[in-house]
Amino acid sequence: MLWLVLLATACRSTPPGGPAVITLPASMLGAEGEVLRIQLARFARLRPDIRVVQRATPDAADQRHQLYVQWLNAGASEPDILQLDVVWTPEFAAAGWILDLDRFHPPTDSFFPATVTANRWRGRLYAVPWFVDVGMLYWRTDLMRAPPATFAELEREAARARAERGLRYGLVWQGARYEGLVAVFSEYLGGFGGRILDGGRVTVSSPAGVRALTSMRDQIYRQGIVPPATLTWHEEESRFAFQNGETAFMRNWPYAYALMADSAESRVAGRYAVAVMPAESGGRPTAALGGAQLAINANSSHAESAWAVIDYLTRPEQMLERARVVGQFPTRPSLYDDPALARALAIPPAQARAIIEHAVPRPVTPVYTQLSDILQIYLHRALTRQLEPAPALAGAATEMQALLDRVGLGEARPIAGR
Amino acid sequence: MPGGERRRAASAEAREARLAWCLAAPAIATILLVALFPLGWTVWESMHLHDLRMPWLGRSFIGADNYVEAVRDARFRQALGHTLLFTVATVTIELGLGCTLALAMNRAFRGRALVRAAVLVPWAIPTVVSALLWRFIFEGRAGIANALMVDVGLVREAPVWFIRSGLVWIPVVLADVWKTTPFVALLLLAGLQNIDASLYEAARIDGASAWRQFRHVTLPLLRPAILVALIFRTLDAFRVFDLVYVMTGGGPGTSTEPIALYTFNTLLQNLRFGYGSALSVIVFAVVFGLALGYIRFLGAGLTETRG
Amino acid sequence: MSRARWGTVAIVLLVLGSGFPLYWAIVSSFTPEARLYGTPSLIPRVLVLDHYRALFTQREFWVPIRNSLIVAGSTTGFCVLVGGLCAYALARLRFRGKAPLLGLILAVSVFPQISVVSPLYLLLRRLHLINTYPGLILPYLTFAMPLTVWLLVGFFRQLPAELEEAAMVDGASRLRTIREIVWPLAIPGLAATAILTFVYSWNEFLFALSFTLGPERQTVPVAIALFRGQYQVPWGQILAAAVVATAPVALLVLAFQRRIVQGLTAGAVKG
Repeated sequence: MLWLVLLATACRSTPPGGPAVITLPASMLGAEGEVLRIQLARFARLRPDIRVVQRATPDAADQRHQLYVQWLNAGASEPDILQLDVVWTPEFAAAGWILDLDRFHPPTDSFFPATVTANRWRGRLYAVPWFVDVGMLYWRTDLMRAPPATFAELEREAARARAERGLRYGLVWQGARYEGLVAVFSEYLGGFGGRILDGGRVTVSSPAGVRALTSMRDQIYRQGIVPPATLTWHEEESRFAFQNGETAFMRNWPYAYALMADSAESRVAGRYAVAVMPAESGGRPTAALGGAQLAINANSSHAESAWAVIDYLTRPEQMLERARVVGQFPTRPSLYDDPALARALAIPPAQARAIIEHAVPRPVTPVYTQLSDILQIYLHRALTRQLEPAPALAGAATEMQALLDRVGLGEARPIAGR
Repeated sequence: MPGGERRRAASAEAREARLAWCLAAPAIATILLVALFPLGWTVWESMHLHDLRMPWLGRSFIGADNYVEAVRDARFRQALGHTLLFTVATVTIELGLGCTLALAMNRAFRGRALVRAAVLVPWAIPTVVSALLWRFIFEGRAGIANALMVDVGLVREAPVWFIRSGLVWIPVVLADVWKTTPFVALLLLAGLQNIDASLYEAARIDGASAWRQFRHVTLPLLRPAILVALIFRTLDAFRVFDLVYVMTGGGPGTSTEPIALYTFNTLLQNLRFGYGSALSVIVFAVVFGLALGYIRFLGAGLTETRG
Repeated sequence: MSRARWGTVAIVLLVLGSGFPLYWAIVSSFTPEARLYGTPSLIPRVLVLDHYRALFTQREFWVPIRNSLIVAGSTTGFCVLVGGLCAYALARLRFRGKAPLLGLILAVSVFPQISVVSPLYLLLRRLHLINTYPGLILPYLTFAMPLTVWLLVGFFRQLPAELEEAAMVDGASRLRTIREIVWPLAIPGLAATAILTFVYSWNEFLFALSFTLGPERQTVPVAIALFRGQYQVPWGQILAAAVVATAPVALLVLAFQRRIVQGLTAGAVKG
């Protein structure tokens, strides 16, 4: 077995004198893998002194996360560049696993402010936003004239569509017990004027939080506009329901937009638009912020070259190309006035931008994943009627606060020992 | 016996013992290396604060703190409860059904091979597959179970099984029963076939009814087989992981989460190795306690017959 | 109802109960995706190969199959070889410490797997063996080795001792006896044990889930369980994969059913 280890280590060393080899793990599947290959090939012509090697990674977020933790925790110098989910940056930054990028003077002013906030930890930038994902409300243009501005309006429209058009459902979202549920909840929460975290204090069980969760639950069991089956659904199940014309509204990510435009597959082609999620008075329309960022391994032996790659991949031209090929939103607001983007994106850029401007990062904390884990469980318990909303959120808040306190992130205490 | 011969016998014995150890050593060493040594490591790890996600916390010795946390952890206690519920429900049903089937199979009839095949295939397929299969059967509108229930007129609209904290146990238990009852039936059938037919003969001559024969001949003689099946199934059910991971993910909420799954999540999802190890040790202690209890109950019959 | 008829009813129910879910899985794996989500009907109307094609073209399902074959095969080979020697010693030779050894093996075989996940993970990580074949085979030995030894002790016990004794009286050494007398006789038992060990290793999930990280080293059960993609649940492909994953073990088990039943019950009941 030992020889395998030796072999593995032998293979990993780079030949001296050649170009700097930068490893970049990213999705190699489909259009996403293809566009990256094209862009890296162009980069290679521009900078022959740098060779970028793509590495296959698992597509499922939690598996990729586990893989990264394992690499970084072992102090490996590879991969040099990491593609991070928006909620991982603070975790990796706090662990000292990724490089503080301020030394390279990134053009932070040219990105959406929310995407920059999400990638800052203790005031320093640790990752560059690559593309942005936002939660949004899909609505049927043949059933109503304008998207609802409040939840009450949404509920009315949904009920009317069901009564008059015989639709099976009014609204669908992602209610299975996973990260998607927290994203949906954070949009309701923002709409009711609540927050999950305020500094080191958990505020999810505030009256606004209870109202938001109660509203989600009532939409299932009282108004009956959200099907109970939603509580087992991920993105695609909701898309199928919307695409089959079974529902008036859907909360989903941008990826669904282009997929439903094909009239051979979709019964709603040409009859839907997107808007930001509704809000109540006292709240603010909210879109959960997702998307990918690029960061540099703190142990990378070619940090400068890695930065050159990141800088290239996040340039306006590359972002436009990505938008055209994969349909992902650029992180640079200036591009949204560019007619090239209107040609590239299925969604009208103005609509997209209006939603992105309501984007709110989920709590920016190194223990986000654990906090989300706790919250998911309590949300799901409340939504499946095992607990009432208020005690559920109180339970979640207690556990989340205990976690923050345990790791020294409670209130405003600094992290010990770093 | 003259001294030389005794010595020779003794040295032959020593040779045999030496050979035995030589033959056994590689396997035993493997077991020590891959099972016992890691187990010790788990115990050691369980007394540390070790969080792979939060390397800045260090890795300090904290004694029994993790165990104290486990005792206070409501989710862990609930997981223990779910595991017990699952174990009792599945083992009871499987033994009852398995016993019935074994009795039915214990008579000569045509198509034995077919029956054995029907019994073996569910046992042989991966648990992951059977869990997915049963999830599919109970899934949404497309699930055949739901469609049949509606067709037969049992319900107007089928429930969403996987969001009801009580109902969700039905597909979970059913999937396990489907997969393992055959195994139990086989064990019991082997036990039945060991029973001397002349005992039934004698009972019949005495004019004993079928029930009395079962009660006074079959059951007592089948007892060892039943106990072995009971042990195997209990310990197996207590370790349940694959089925729940795939079928419900422990949900809705955490209402079907067994201890193995909670421990797994603590270790590999949250990367809390110290606390997760403490949970592992507790699971181990419970399983080991159960096994010891059963073996004592059996009168040490297990190792004795082999030893 | 007479007893005989009651027995027949029980048997028919058993065959139906066991068989129906399998039938349903097979039928559904050939049903077009669109029909899969409609109202199901017991007798299929349209059968297509779409899901199987997608399985091997889009998903590269042969990768997990190859991984499973390598891992389960190596585990089985190693265990039967090494465990066979150990089992022979435990079944036939007289030496002190035999009973504790048997006790140890039995105890390890009831180990909850989860209780060694954390140290094995840390160990494999330190050895850079996470997401490698040795990194799976090694953990698999924790359950496969005791299982193999335990089953083989049962088989060796059933072999008639007279032949060996006769050979030894004739002056053959132990090792020669093993090679020339015991080995040929033991082949059926070894084969049955190998099949059982292979089936257990093929079906294993927890370790494979814990110690692999990406599609390139995942075994069949892990690949199937994680089919639920980032966004969707492709039931058609899942069921097709289920059929593919089950077919080899089901065929093995059916081909050797008599021996396997003997092995299972000898290992447990007489134990």
